[in-house]
Amino acid sequence: MNSEVNEIEIQFNLNGQDLKTKVLPGMTVLEMIRRNFKLTATKEGCGKGECGACSILFNGLPINSCLKLAATLTPTDKIVTVEGLANDELMQRIQKAYVDEGAVQCGFCIPGMTISTYSLLKKNPKPTMDEIKFALAGNICRCTGYRKIEAAVAKAAERGEK
Amino acid sequence: MSFEFYKPANIDEASKLLKNSGYVAIVGGTDTIVKIKANFYKALKALVDLNGLFSKEIKVEGDKCIIGSACVMNYIAEHPVIKENFPVLAQAALSVAAVQIRNTATIGGNVGNSSPVGDTIPALYSLEAEVNIVSDEGKRVVPINEFITGVGRNVLKPGEMIESFAIPMRKTKGSFQKLGERKALSISKINLGLSYWNDGKPHYRIALGAVAITVLRVPKAEELLENSPLPLTDEVIQQAATYAVETAKPITDIRSTKEYRKQMAGVLLKRALNAIRE
Repeated sequence: MNSEVNEIEIQFNLNGQDLKTKVLPGMTVLEMIRRNFKLTATKEGCGKGECGACSILFNGLPINSCLKLAATLTPTDKIVTVEGLANDELMQRIQKAYVDEGAVQCGFCIPGMTISTYSLLKKNPKPTMDEIKFALAGNICRCTGYRKIEAAVAKAAERGEK
Repeated sequence: MSFEFYKPANIDEASKLLKNSGYVAIVGGTDTIVKIKANFYKALKALVDLNGLFSKEIKVEGDKCIIGSACVMNYIAEHPVIKENFPVLAQAALSVAAVQIRNTATIGGNVGNSSPVGDTIPALYSLEAEVNIVSDEGKRVVPINEFITGVGRNVLKPGEMIESFAIPMRKTKGSFQKLGERKALSISKINLGLSYWNDGKPHYRIALGAVAITVLRVPKAEELLENSPLPLTDEVIQQAATYAVETAKPITDIRSTKEYRKQMAGVLLKRALNAIRE
């Protein structure tokens, strides 16, 4: 790496912790969380916002972390990755439903899928099938054909009612 | 990929930075980062981060609705003032990409990028929006139909930025239509914004995207519709659709063909008019 390039110091909150780190101008949030913080659940698929494998929560909303520059983060920004939701009741319910429905094959898309599912069910605990499809339209899976993923989201919602 | 990164503290500083050649503004980044990765900017020297400088909110001020340029698509699509008064814009914003991009992509970016296929642009044309432009030298207002001058080109001079959009406050009915390879994440082959309001007499505004280097209005169809009694008959709608086909001047490119786009201009207008029928 060119040592003359100025690294930028940024502050933000990652999975509940206020942090400081240094990033290069072109580094995406995805690269930063994987390289600087070794949080590797979040995956790079297409790298241009089409597949959703890199989905994270940014100030509570799902975004593509491959299309956000780390240098643009500010101290009030909150990033949550799948790791940050490991003990979250809703995320655990979603993960169990994905396993029970056989919705996970190679697994590469699943962190992004579960982030989108989490975001949907937080806002809308009883989604219709159309709402499920709309909420997951930004996530591509190349294994399952989506039927099992949609069933898993519906199951997670159903189990939440009890 | 080596460039500098600036985070100006105010609009004045940002404007001065953006006068340098090779300095590119970034807010949401959903277009800019894709372009950087694709090596689109041959002489990129620096990114100028405008996050925090422009409003992310929608407000009604007097007889205008003011949309801050940093408003993201989902915020616009879900905003009660927009849903209630400018449904064409709510629908257009909700049709962009997918939820993750709609949480980051801004309306200022969509218009500033000035692609002939930008989905919010025909909606803003049909609502007769104005673009509020700011720089360290002052402010100016440009009607949306004079803002875009070509593919990826607009009237912004170095150092100028989009501060907000102003839409005349009135209750409109509207419909946004687009065709793509799939519902989500498709760049439009063709899109159309329709707005209708009645202030004692009916007004129709029809704007077609992706059928020329910039959005085209269809004045012959607007005039026909405004002079036709309500409810509109199928014959009137068919004639309006024919005018839309005649107006469209599309090209063939990677996303679609000239012939298909031309025919679809009429189909989309029919769908939009049917969508707003009582």
